[in-house]
Amino acid sequence: MAHQEYQEMLAAQALNALDPGDELTLEAHLQSCAGCRSQLSSWEDTAAGLAFAALEARLLQPSPQLRGRILQAIHSDARALDRTKEAAEGADSRASNVITLQQREPRRWILAQTWGAIAAALVFVVLGASLFVLWNQNRAARRELGRLSEQVRESQQQLAQQREAIEIVASPGTRMTELVGTGEMPGANAMLAYDKGGRAILMAKGLPPPPEGKAYQLWFIAGGRPLPGRVFATDTSGAGMLSDHVPTEALNAAVFAITLEPKSGVPAPTGAIVLKSGS
Amino acid sequence: MQPEQAQATDVDLLHAVARGDELALGSLYDRYRVILFGLLMRILNSREEAEDVLQEVMLQVWRRAADFDEQRGRPFTWLVTLSRSRAIDRLRQLGARQRLADSAAQNSPDEASDAVKDTLHSEQREIVQRALAELPEEQTRILILAYFEGLTQSEIATRLTTPLGTVKTRMRSGMIKLRELLGERIKSLR
Repeated sequence: MAHQEYQEMLAAQALNALDPGDELTLEAHLQSCAGCRSQLSSWEDTAAGLAFAALEARLLQPSPQLRGRILQAIHSDARALDRTKEAAEGADSRASNVITLQQREPRRWILAQTWGAIAAALVFVVLGASLFVLWNQNRAARRELGRLSEQVRESQQQLAQQREAIEIVASPGTRMTELVGTGEMPGANAMLAYDKGGRAILMAKGLPPPPEGKAYQLWFIAGGRPLPGRVFATDTSGAGMLSDHVPTEALNAAVFAITLEPKSGVPAPTGAIVLKSGS
Repeated sequence: MQPEQAQATDVDLLHAVARGDELALGSLYDRYRVILFGLLMRILNSREEAEDVLQEVMLQVWRRAADFDEQRGRPFTWLVTLSRSRAIDRLRQLGARQRLADSAAQNSPDEASDAVKDTLHSEQREIVQRALAELPEEQTRILILAYFEGLTQSEIATRLTTPLGTVKTRMRSGMIKLRELLGERIKSLR
């Protein structure tokens, strides 16, 4: 706000006629502007002159008894008994009685205090709300960051698997075995590639995501004995990929199968075979 | 009033009050009771309320005299400001001005008997009222509504069904004109 706008409020302030918002704005400015404080004091002299406009042609005076009541009141006022003690009171207690900045009208001062308290409460509420919003935003941001990190991790994992798959497929002597869905999963199929060292990659599709707490587990069946492989899951498109290592005993003569098992995997198959290679 | 206190300035009296001089407070009361009571009557329109508020004001002066700083304002302005403020607060507490009017109507016979002759105050009243008479009526009306009824600019705009900007302009113009008309005499008003 331009300084001139503050100056234009001063006359109205001397009349206590500013609306609360303007009054608060001006009060804040007065705290730091001695020039405006001085001008306000001058305007207050002018406003005080209006008191004479209140006088009737026939001047009135209060009842004669009022003077005695006032003197009696101040005489018995507790402060009269120990004014030194009052002077020693802290700044806080004085502040409630003192018109500190200049000879301000108490209503205005109290109003400013009230508005100040309301403003402080509003600021507190707004700050609290802002903190809550920021806290929530931070939580949301952290969740999003966690989700994105997980996506990145999964993507990196998939990329690594794909690289490995390429390496395995491109390796001399790599074997490719197709697994087809059984009656449990007639539309599913998978391709298992493994090199001479046993490094294997399984790429499956058409397999619905496993139920909660379940996973697909690869089995290497050699000599009629199922050897456990790793577990994996598929995504909503039914695709899944698994890196594993074919046991030595299964390298040359094996049947590969996939069952639905507990998520952590089991040492011996418990679930139905959903995919199986030819013998 | 003791002779030396009759000659004392307002600031001297306030300093004496600040030291706990009850007689000095009595002197201040004697000096300003007419103007303050007239102001309170104009705002409250009730002798009972006006006397009650005047007692509150003097008690406030007694308690706060030590905090008065003559560098920041005149004692007269301080006393008038305190009185007006208390009266406006009381007016709002009482709510309906009509109640006060009714009350005042009951008190009017007593007021007549309390009329007093005061040459100084009569002259000063003439000065201010002549100045107000020179202001455009719409400006005077706004100053009166603000000063004696304690209305804010928005409240005045509503009361007069006048745009707020117009009220602000007229109020400021009225105050500027009033200050010009009163000139140096402002400092002698008390």
